[in-house]
This record gives sequence, structure tokens and C-alpha cells, in this order.
Amino acid sequence: MTLSFDFPGGIYPPERKVRSSQASLQRAPLPERVSLPLRQHSGRPAVACVSPGDSVQVGSLIAKRNGLISAHVHASISGTVTHISGNDIQIESDRQDTWHTLAPLNWRDTDAGTLLARLDESGVVGLGGAGFPTPVKARVIARHAIDTLIVNAAECEPYITADDITLQRYPDDVLEGAQLIASLCGAEQIIIGIEDNKPEAIAALTQAVGRSQPVSVTLTVIPTRYPSGSEKLLIKTLLNRTVPSQGLPADVGALCHNPGTLLAALNAVRAGQPLVERIVTLTGDAIARPGNYWVRLGTSIETLLTHAGLDTDRLSSVIQGGPMMGETLDTLKRPVVKTTNCLIAATHAELPSGPQEAPCIRCGACESVCPVQLLPQQLHWYARAQEDDKLERYHLFDCIECGACSYVCPSHIPLVEDYREAKSRLRYQQIETAKAEHAKHRFEFRQARLAREEAEKQARRHARLAQTKPSISNNRADAAAHPAPSTMPSANPQADLRSLRIAQSAAKAAVRKAEKVLAREAQQAPHESHEDLETQLATARENLKVADLQLAQARENAQISTEDSP
Amino acid sequence: MSMLHASHVNDAPSAGTTAPPTASLMRWVIVATLPGIIAMTYCFGLGVLSNIVLAAAFGVLLESGVLYLRKHPIVPALNDSSALLTGVLLGASLPPASPWWLIGVGMIAAVVIAKQLYGGLGHNPFNPAMVGYALLLVSFPTYMTLWAPPQPLISDTLWPQIMGALPIADIDTLSGATPLDAFKQKAQGLSAYQFWASGTLADGTLEAWRFISLAWLAGGVLLLFKRIISWHIPAALLGSLLIMATLFYMADADEFASPVFHLLTGATLFGAFFIATDPVSAATSRRGKLLYGVGIGVLIIVIRNLGGYPDAVAFAVLLMNLCVPLIDLYTVPRPVGHSKGTAGAPR
Repeated sequence: MTLSFDFPGGIYPPERKVRSSQASLQRAPLPERVSLPLRQHSGRPAVACVSPGDSVQVGSLIAKRNGLISAHVHASISGTVTHISGNDIQIESDRQDTWHTLAPLNWRDTDAGTLLARLDESGVVGLGGAGFPTPVKARVIARHAIDTLIVNAAECEPYITADDITLQRYPDDVLEGAQLIASLCGAEQIIIGIEDNKPEAIAALTQAVGRSQPVSVTLTVIPTRYPSGSEKLLIKTLLNRTVPSQGLPADVGALCHNPGTLLAALNAVRAGQPLVERIVTLTGDAIARPGNYWVRLGTSIETLLTHAGLDTDRLSSVIQGGPMMGETLDTLKRPVVKTTNCLIAATHAELPSGPQEAPCIRCGACESVCPVQLLPQQLHWYARAQEDDKLERYHLFDCIECGACSYVCPSHIPLVEDYREAKSRLRYQQIETAKAEHAKHRFEFRQARLAREEAEKQARRHARLAQTKPSISNNRADAAAHPAPSTMPSANPQADLRSLRIAQSAAKAAVRKAEKVLAREAQQAPHESHEDLETQLATARENLKVADLQLAQARENAQISTEDSP
Repeated sequence: MSMLHASHVNDAPSAGTTAPPTASLMRWVIVATLPGIIAMTYCFGLGVLSNIVLAAAFGVLLESGVLYLRKHPIVPALNDSSALLTGVLLGASLPPASPWWLIGVGMIAAVVIAKQLYGGLGHNPFNPAMVGYALLLVSFPTYMTLWAPPQPLISDTLWPQIMGALPIADIDTLSGATPLDAFKQKAQGLSAYQFWASGTLADGTLEAWRFISLAWLAGGVLLLFKRIISWHIPAALLGSLLIMATLFYMADADEFASPVFHLLTGATLFGAFFIATDPVSAATSRRGKLLYGVGIGVLIIVIRNLGGYPDAVAFAVLLMNLCVPLIDLYTVPRPVGHSKGTAGAPR
């Protein structure tokens, strides 16, 4: 056990974990049909690669990853594909449960490339809630040196016990998964961060830690305080490193993974099993048999809760995720997806709806619990007033939306809702501004291209005239007859030449600058499109061509005029 | 969106350690004024209670009236008890048995002008009770600076006084001065020792004020204990007040009163726990609250020792209310993940 460090603020909500952590882990019955959304992860939705009528086995690839930040989707039951829409694929079960697995691999003597490909093929994503594709996270070492892999077992939200049960039941497998990921990202140590309210999991891990090879594993028990499991706060608590604002854990040499994800990664490699099932906590006072269940992805939430003994009369709301950061479901027809860690079937008594919102009296209760040291009361004020510049100055985008402020607000103001709304409004504005900028740049490029074509035409005509009519006076008359800025001889050809030369070097500098900006951006974000910067570079190049042509022509004219003068 | 709320859970390890909802928060402040009010009534008679009852009644009436004119729902706003609290605080600040019209004028300034015209609860830049108090002090100094010496619970003139029927000359004979006032008015060259020996103050006056101050302190401790106020403002205020008073006292012990005198007479403790801690008009961040409290403490001593008024809590609080936007601007905490250079004060 090592020392743990402190983070500011935090709250002590009721834990309400016992009701689901006391029951043993069970398997939910195989669903008759599943509905598998194409987007169960962060990033772009996958693209369906089966058609209605196709028969599939458990683990058959049914939708392929689209782009870098995306993940494959696999059939979670064997049967027939019945329906494909833009959002999901539905499969009807044949009740056979036949599996299609990949070749088992021993990760210790398999190269990193093969392992990453396996994680990719298996559709493994973070199971903690965000659903970030695991292979992409493992590839972070291309740009960052990682020294520590953190197993985020804090599970600080009330009700949820999925990680707790995972660790109690599969401590060695989770650690083996951690060793696998540690070897992929080059971590020199593994630290497990777990809140002190999970004694059974801690006991199981204490046993397992000594057996885990080759990277040394440390178990750090941290005090129970919400939101200790927030990635950046956990890194601060365990390593005393501060992830920079807008930065990633990798910026401070750390990677965080959830125990369930590590288990899924290990299963994908060792057993060749794609991600088709996960452990889900079913809890809340409106179900008779709360506990943790192995659930096939795509199982309808209604079926699942009914299996757990849902009492619809007492049910007031169903929450997916935890009560602090989760979402209230408006329908139970939704399926369990890769990121569904918990379903709470709450009665009105346990999660009553709040009383009417009262005015903010700036009591500062929110500020004292904010784990990132924002001023929620000021953000609330500016969010309601839509004072966007103030919102950014008061660091709205550093808010982790943990809900501690809403939890303590004596005026029952839904602060996090305000912040989410303001954030999405600001993001939308940024996108719109970028779009407008891009449109402007495209227009500028078109103008520059037309100018270049015009200048070329001029130059060609000029050359033709010079060939056919070598007479100087004619040439000048012709030039006067076709006035163009570049060819029109001015009163002072020398001054004209000088200004054109300046314009040409400015155009050259602009090209160099655009090249530099593009190169830097491309290095920083190699996988993103830099269309706008490319347009700007092309515009600068066109401008340079124009300037070159004009200068060349003016030089010729100047020569002619010097020859002309006595 | 958080579906859990501290006020709905009774199974939280944190139950009782977070502040109660806004409405009961205000009611708790009213409860916490009880020791002070009882002590005042014990020392200065029922005139204290009549002040408070009248002011609270005016508060509720005026708030309802303005809300009606603003076409805002009246019941929820009255339910938060903030107008009632403003009445209690102003009532407790006034000389006992103040005439009803004086209280009415003060409450109009407090509730109508300082609070509702700015948008109601949560929007007032100035402490409403202190706006009312300052207006009365400036407009009706005769009534406001004459404070009767300790007297029995029911005095003969209580009713005529409240009704405003007592001639001003009679009030003068009835009234004495507060210890702060008396000390300030002491003859030039009179040493502090001579002043206390001279018996300018009626017997028991100083003791009464000390007793009342300690009663306010008891209420303040209750507020701290219930987490309704944080320690920052009272601690900063009282700390800076003691330091400033000590400095003055060390410079000239005859001219300036002792730090203990400043602490235990006048409205110091009442102000530190009940007035300066009004969250709406105070600075918002923890660092800001410390600065705000220090500012009030310093101003109280500066005005008491060098200014023209015997007590200064109201003016000190109002002056620091003025500074709140500036303080807030320069005390934005640095969020986690920001380095010293990049965050800091927003422009």
C-alpha cells in the first residue's frame, strides 16, 4: 500500500451498494432477441457488414469500425439478423448459443502488433462509462511515454458494484489483463486504486497482487469520497500528478483502465472472445433480486429488469449509470450496451424528484465541494445569462460534470444541467465559427485561383505580343489598350517594381508560414483532417504564383522602358 | 444530472454535514438570532421585541406587495423567510422601542429598494438590513444614536415611544449613549482610566453590552456548527478587527479604546456572524471571503476610531459590498490542472 494524496472538495453521498454487492454474480438468461446499436462507444458509429436474413454466431462480426475512433460490433447471440437500421442491428435467437471465437493467444509470446489487432478485432472499449476504444488508448505510446498503468477500481458512484464484483470474482484475470495492457503501453508499474468501502475486493486483490507478473503491482486503498474515481482526480490521488487542463492522463505518463475493460481485453486475447457480454449491476428498490449479472449486449433493459423482479407499481424511474452522473431513461425498450455498467430501478422514495428550484444565494456550498476548484455559483450565473466569454474565463470546460455541486445546492439548482447546456452551446458555436472560417478560406482560394489564371493569361498574351510585334511602341500601346494591374505601366516603373517585389516576398513568407502551421498540426493530430489549413496553404501558393508572374512581367516592362529611355 | 440530493437522503455518511435547503437555511439564521434577541430584551426591555416584530411584519408585507406588483408568485418567495430575516436583523440593530414609522422607513429601504428593486433574493448587491440601517442613521440621527440605558422589561413610556407619540425632548432624557458613543465623545485629554472612573455610562451598561455580544457569539457558533455559514468571514473580520484595534491601542491607549472593548461592545459580534456573512452580498470564493472579512474588520476600526460615527458595522459592510465584484474578479481559484501562469485572475 502506498501513500495517497488529496484532491479538493468532494462529497459523501449515501453508498447504497450493499443491496447489489451481497448477491452472488449470476448469468442473465439468454435473450430471445437482441438489438445492437452501431454506436456503443465514443467516436463514430460502426458500419453494418451483414444483411437481414444472415445467420450469425455469438462473436460474429456484424458491424465494422468506421475511422480510427470507433469499434467493431459483434453478434451477442446466435441466430438470424432480422433488421438493420441506421442505428442498430437486430438479431433473433436460434437458442443454440453457438460461438464463433478467434484463435486463443498467449499474450506473453505474441508481438504487440498482433495483440493490438486482436483488441481491435474484438471490439474492446472502456467499460467504465465513456466507451473509448481500448486499442486506440494502448497506441498512445506512439506519442507519450507511459510509466504507470492505473486500474481504476474506485467505483465512487453510489449503487454501482460491477467493478467490485468483477474484482471479487476475477482478481487474477483482471491483473493478468492489466499486465497485458501494461506490456502494450510500456508501463513500469501497475497501481490499483480502490475505495476503502470494498473490503472483499481488497482482500481478493491483496492475495492476487503477489502472484501477478512481471510488472510490479501496487494496491492503494483510498478513502471513500465522491468523485475519487474521476480519472484525473484518481491520478492526483495515486501519483500526485496533475493532468493539465484539456490534457490527457498520458500527458503525465499514466493510463487508466477500468477492471471490467481489463477482463474483456484478457478474454479477447486469451480466449479469443469478442466483447459480447459484460457485468451489469441491477439495483434499486423497485426490483426484488438486485445483484450483478453477466448480460449479453443488446438485451432489452425491460427484459433484464423483469428477470430481476421489477415491480412496475413501485417503479418511479430507471437510471442508466450511477445516480450522480447517469441518465434517466425515458423508455425501457433500450438495450444494454458496452457502456451500461448499472441500471437503477428506483422507487420514488429512494430518489425523489427535487423541489422547485430557489434562487442562488451564493452560499458557496457548491464551491466547497467542487473537486476541480471551480466557482459553480459564478458559472451558474453566467450560464443562465449566456455570458459566454465569462464562462470560458471561469473555466467551464474544466468542469468534470460530477454533480457534487448539484448534490449539495441548498436551492436545488440543477447546476450540471446548466453547464452541459452551456458547453454544448459553446461547442456548437465553435463548430459554426470554424465552418464559416472554412467557407471564407475556400472563397479566398477560389479568388486566388482566378487571379492566378488571369495573371497567366496576361503573361501568355504578353509573350505572344512580344514575339509577334517586337516593336516597342506597339507593345506599349497594346499594354495600354489592355489595362491590367500587373501590366499597366505606371508613372514610376521603379517604384512599381519595388512594391511588386515586396508583395512577392510577402506571398513567399505566407506560403512558408502556412506550410509550417500545417506541418505542426499534422504532427500533433496526425489522424485528423486538416482540410482548412490545406486550403489556406493552397491559397497562399496561388497568391505567390500571381505575385511571381506580376513581378516577372513588371521586370520585363521595366527593362523595356529602360531600353526605351535615352 | 445528479438524481441524488443531499436534502433527500438520510442514509448518507455526510447527513448533517451539508447545509440545509435555502428556506430552512434562512430559518436557522432566525433561530440563531434568538440568544442575542433574548439577551437584548433582558437588558433593554420589550422595546427590542417590538422593534423586531414590527420590522418582520413590515418585511413580509412589503415583500408581498412588491412581489404582487412584479407579478411574481408570492408564497414561494415568502416561504424562503428571507424578508422575515431582514426584518429581524434590522429590528435588532435599532435602538429599543423605535417608533413604528422609523422601522417602516428602514424596511422600505431594505426590502423594497435594496432587495426587490435589484431583482429579489440572490440579486441584491448590498446587504438589505444594512442599507435600511444606514439610511435611518443618516436621515434620523437623533432617533438612531440615542440608546436607552439598561432598563426593566416593561418601561412606562414603551407604548408612546413605539407609537412615535413621545416628544423628542423626552426621548432625550430617557436615552443615554452606547458605550462606543460615550467613549468617542469623552472630553479631550481625559485618559481612558479617568473616563471609566467618571461614571458617564449608567451602571451596568458596559456589562449589558458584553452580555449581549456573547449571546450573539453563541448564535454565531450555532450557525457555524450547522454549516450555515463558513468560518472564513467571521474569522477574518474579527482577526483583522483585533489587530487594527491593537495597533491603535498601542499607539495611544488614552485616545483609542482597547481591542477587547471593540470586540465586545457595539455590533461587532452581531455583524461578524449575522451581517457580514450574508452570502448574497458577500464575496464568493473562500479567498475572496477572507479578503472581504479583513476589509470589514479594518474599516470598522478605522471608522470607529477616526470617523464621525460611533459604530461602523453597517458602513463597513456596505463599503465592502461595493468591493465584492472586484474581489470576486481577483480571487477566482485556480482549477485543478491549470498551472500558475495560465489560469489566475480572469481579465
